[in-house]
Amino acid sequence: MSGFRLADGGRIDRRTKRTFSFDGKAQWGYAGDSLASALLAQGQMLFGRSFKYHRPRGILGAGVEEPNALVTVDRGPGRMTPNLRAPSVPVHDGLTATSQNRFPSLKTDLIAVNNVFSAFFPAGFYNKTFMWPRAAWEKVYEPIIRRLAGLGDSPTTRDPDHYDATYAHCETLIVGAGPAGIAAALDAAAGGGRVFLIDEQEEIGGGALSDPAQWAWLAEATAKLAAMDNVTVLSRTTAIGHYHQNFVVAAERLTDHLPVGEAHGPREKLWRIRAGEVVLAMGAIERPLVFEGNDVPGVMLASAARTFALRYGVAVGRKIVVMAVHDSGWRDALALQAAGVPITAIVDLRRDIDPALADAARDARIACYPGYAITSVSGSLAVKGATIALAGVGKGQKLDCDAVLMAGGWTPTVHLWSHAKGSLRWDESWGAFLPDKTHENLRCVGACAGAWDFGSGLSVGLLPAPKPLHESKAFVDFQNDVKARDIGLAVQEGFRSIEHIKRYTTNGMATDQGKTSNLNGLQIASDVLSRPVTEIGLTTFRPPYTPQSFGAMLGHHKEALFQPLRKSGIDDWAQAHGAVYENVAQWRRARFFPQGSEDMDAAVARECRMVRSSVGVFDASTLGKIEVVGPDAAEFLNRMYTNPWKSLEPGRCRYGLLLGEHGFIIDDGVSARLAPDRFHLTTTTGGAARVLGMMEDYLQTEWSDLDVWLTSTTEQWAVIAVQGPRARDVIAPLVEGIDLSPEAFPHMAVREGTICGVETRLFRVSFTGELGFEVNVPAEHGRKVWEAIWAEGEKHGAAAYGTETMHVLRAEKGFIIVGQDTDGTVTPDDAGLGWAVGKKKPDFVGKRSLARPDIVAPGRKQLVGLLTDDAQDVLEEGAQIVADPNQPVPMTMIGHVTSSYYSTTLGRSIAMALVAGGRDRMGETLYIPMPGKTISAKVLAPMFYDAEGSRLNG
Amino acid sequence: MLLIHCPYCEEARPEVEFVYGGEAHIARPLDPSTYSDGEWEEFLYIRSNPRGRHHERWRHTHGCGRFFNAVRDTVTDVFETTYKAGEARK
Amino acid sequence: MVDIAEIAVSAAELKLGTEPVQGSGVRLSHADARARYSLRARDAAVLEKAISRKLPGKIGDQTDGVICLGPDEWYAILPESTALQRGEGLPVSVVDVSSRALGFVLEGPGALAVLSSGCPLDLARMGVGRATRTVFETVEIVIWREAEDRWHIEVWRSFATWLWHALAAAMHASK
Repeated sequence: MSGFRLADGGRIDRRTKRTFSFDGKAQWGYAGDSLASALLAQGQMLFGRSFKYHRPRGILGAGVEEPNALVTVDRGPGRMTPNLRAPSVPVHDGLTATSQNRFPSLKTDLIAVNNVFSAFFPAGFYNKTFMWPRAAWEKVYEPIIRRLAGLGDSPTTRDPDHYDATYAHCETLIVGAGPAGIAAALDAAAGGGRVFLIDEQEEIGGGALSDPAQWAWLAEATAKLAAMDNVTVLSRTTAIGHYHQNFVVAAERLTDHLPVGEAHGPREKLWRIRAGEVVLAMGAIERPLVFEGNDVPGVMLASAARTFALRYGVAVGRKIVVMAVHDSGWRDALALQAAGVPITAIVDLRRDIDPALADAARDARIACYPGYAITSVSGSLAVKGATIALAGVGKGQKLDCDAVLMAGGWTPTVHLWSHAKGSLRWDESWGAFLPDKTHENLRCVGACAGAWDFGSGLSVGLLPAPKPLHESKAFVDFQNDVKARDIGLAVQEGFRSIEHIKRYTTNGMATDQGKTSNLNGLQIASDVLSRPVTEIGLTTFRPPYTPQSFGAMLGHHKEALFQPLRKSGIDDWAQAHGAVYENVAQWRRARFFPQGSEDMDAAVARECRMVRSSVGVFDASTLGKIEVVGPDAAEFLNRMYTNPWKSLEPGRCRYGLLLGEHGFIIDDGVSARLAPDRFHLTTTTGGAARVLGMMEDYLQTEWSDLDVWLTSTTEQWAVIAVQGPRARDVIAPLVEGIDLSPEAFPHMAVREGTICGVETRLFRVSFTGELGFEVNVPAEHGRKVWEAIWAEGEKHGAAAYGTETMHVLRAEKGFIIVGQDTDGTVTPDDAGLGWAVGKKKPDFVGKRSLARPDIVAPGRKQLVGLLTDDAQDVLEEGAQIVADPNQPVPMTMIGHVTSSYYSTTLGRSIAMALVAGGRDRMGETLYIPMPGKTISAKVLAPMFYDAEGSRLNG
Repeated sequence: MLLIHCPYCEEARPEVEFVYGGEAHIARPLDPSTYSDGEWEEFLYIRSNPRGRHHERWRHTHGCGRFFNAVRDTVTDVFETTYKAGEARK
Repeated sequence: MVDIAEIAVSAAELKLGTEPVQGSGVRLSHADARARYSLRARDAAVLEKAISRKLPGKIGDQTDGVICLGPDEWYAILPESTALQRGEGLPVSVVDVSSRALGFVLEGPGALAVLSSGCPLDLARMGVGRATRTVFETVEIVIWREAEDRWHIEVWRSFATWLWHALAAAMHASK
């Protein structure tokens, strides 16, 4: 119990108490407190347990750089957020926070036994120890390590909050609203352009919030900004990343600072800001010092202690020792002493101290130890004292204290600068990397630019100590439990690049992104390697700057709005008739229509029977459609598709096969010539956008001389397939202006007229092998026409059928589905579609590739039919095929099953497969090894029903 | 997200309106049948993949719909220029 | 654990709104029925003659409901049942796409902010009367700034339900 509330001071509202709980215990603070400041005021020094060793840890910093005091805040079911940094959590009434990574409690952590055996847990320990046996890694080591090591628990329940998101545009975006950022905002705003000023803290002001002398100025500047129409000030908003061309993504926390009952509206808002100029004013983070015991609760940054005192009115101890290598430590000590925080001693590794500082310290009755270093800190759950020695190696001298402040110099916050690929230069006087060059319209101001007066100092890696490095328990990365000796070990084991050292030791990883550890790690590596820091380099900073919720990333687009679910105009009817759906690309399509207690097999069997015996109706609206118009339309299609198109008469349809330039099938569909200069193309449902894009590419970049244009009409037309021997009878009463007789309207013809009084493009086509029509009507009339057709169909016992029945019926006829029976490596000949390739055509897309040596070589996989010897065995799609089931494992696989169904029509199973040299294997028996049994099947042509095509005529 | 200057719209537009189209200035031969297998392989599959200046195609799919060419630095992602399809290599 | 199927079901429950949605300072409603045409030509003069209408000359311009989308592409949003000549035999393409899209109207002082929730363009810099094809998150749209605070939005039919609710969600959040 060393921290306490100062009698006065700070920006907290001492008239307004806030009550909250930490680890189940009732606590209180004032309005304006952070969780860290409120608990420190109550004397709480212990905040968490470390990642690997479960060592007791306290507060290190006063902002987002805090690596130790990670807490979980619970705001009710689904509203649990782990890994929040206690200094960044504002207190409100009812706040419920718990510490992490301890079992069963913070004070008594049984797993801290890791700490006792920490000599056995050096860098790379996991990699080395748990290499083998492999099974043990998965079953034993990993689960145990996962339980022992870690941060907070992930939420397991659904997030009930909603999140806002927006794009925003401005001429100037300033990230960081400290004095430099505010000045930049005022300056930019005077120019009249749109200005955004964003800051991660509860209120703007940055470092000025911890400096009462600046409060009057801050209030004035804040009011001035608020009064300007062209300025948007966002506090509680973290710029999580800088992306190309000044695109900055920031997350604004809208409600987490409020009591649960007062939190209305979106929880967070994601700002996607495009700025003409970005000004980074992100300040600097004080660097810890690396010495034995620097992680005992009560050892913290001097700047943090200053913030707790001057912003929050909290003293972090009653007898405080400052360990400095930098003037800023002296300045903070003096400010703290003046604010009533008892500083007993300043220890500084430097022998020569600025006389003004030394005199001021003496006047403030602070004992000074120039040339000394702390060599150890005593205490486990809290600081009990410190040992200092001249130059770290002289005779030890004990100092009585309950807190130790570290002033190791300053690290400019260049994370976003690095995201923007800005280069950095090493600055000796800062002992840090400063922004150098960028190709963005981006600049840094204030401390992050190196333009701030913190005084001068040394930059040291490990403080000099009597213990050799390999025995030291001085921590570099508190969050990831990386010690100075781990970095030494990494170097000793041959790692030279800082990127490798980082990954071997985990220094600077995870949610912390090295905010307090990067430069100390680098300095130590530099010392051990005896090479300058600049030769070792700096690791890459990556977004996000601080951990970010997934919710804000999604914005509005979660759950029902996650992505568009495309539905045809007939979808509602299908839903009302009990359709079971499947998703195809972004579309949902009716898969089958079960009646009563039918399962899929029973429903599909009935639907198939109805189509083959009478008539079925199918919603094919999702088919891709492209209208190809212009004098050169036929010439264009002739170049795109494998087969000839110029000779196609208006009023006729043709099956088109589309290859990539590599010669493999990428799409197919039946298309119609409506007029000499107008074609109605169809594509697969999933291929619509891709095919249109590919055709546009050829048209715009290869054949720009052709007068022909492409228009997507997928959504213009609803398509109703009416298939079966009674198909003509069903549509006849509804159609006007079209002679439906077989003579006037043959298979593969198209006619324009009306149906139910609505204009139609009526295709006589069949993907089932039966007499069939596809009725195209403007989409807004699709539902009405469907219902009229359905009413007629019911007179003939029609079934509405879905995609599953469509698949079975087409497979019975051996029609392929691109993407199911082809996989991007199948040529027309492989698929048995050689007939669809115009042999006399001089050129078409993909033609040259059909003569490539590997395409004409024998033994290619070809599409064949398979009939299992046991007619009731239905093969698994994707199952591998072998010629000899008795060969030793691993067997030579010669192909795989692409389509497989039970055919009610045939009373047995049918399958299609891609098999090496398949067409030369007709009549052969092949084998499909499955778990528990091997299925044998005979090879035949992929045509199982009505090979002569007589049923097309009804 | 990149901002890409569309040479047809004559303004910089957000990357999400565009689709990348691979390396530029790889013209399909007028008569592919005259190409040897080696030449055809080169046309189909061999790309320069430079570190630095890269000539590449983009399509302003969700804008004016046009394909165009760009010179982009593959290290910095900075666009040096964009120009209309059919214009000489820059 | 959230079941993916459960999400699909909830997406399936979305229905296209029929009545206007009112937010604070913003209103979303359906535009009245329109005839729509996709118009293409290398030479605008030939197309103008074919359909007997003036065409705007520059991408982003709009004249009497005809928007220039690209160097050879126009999109006409015309009063319902306006019929255009097809220009048969001419080097033009006139395609009736009246049913392909639905039109929404987003209006009021808050309209720009709602549209900006998912549209990455700097809409404040878009002049009244201008129009363009763009995206709202992943969905392609055509926007036409009919007046300072009135936007006409065209979206393909099957995306309309999602867009309606996405706009409504943004309106709700901005309350």
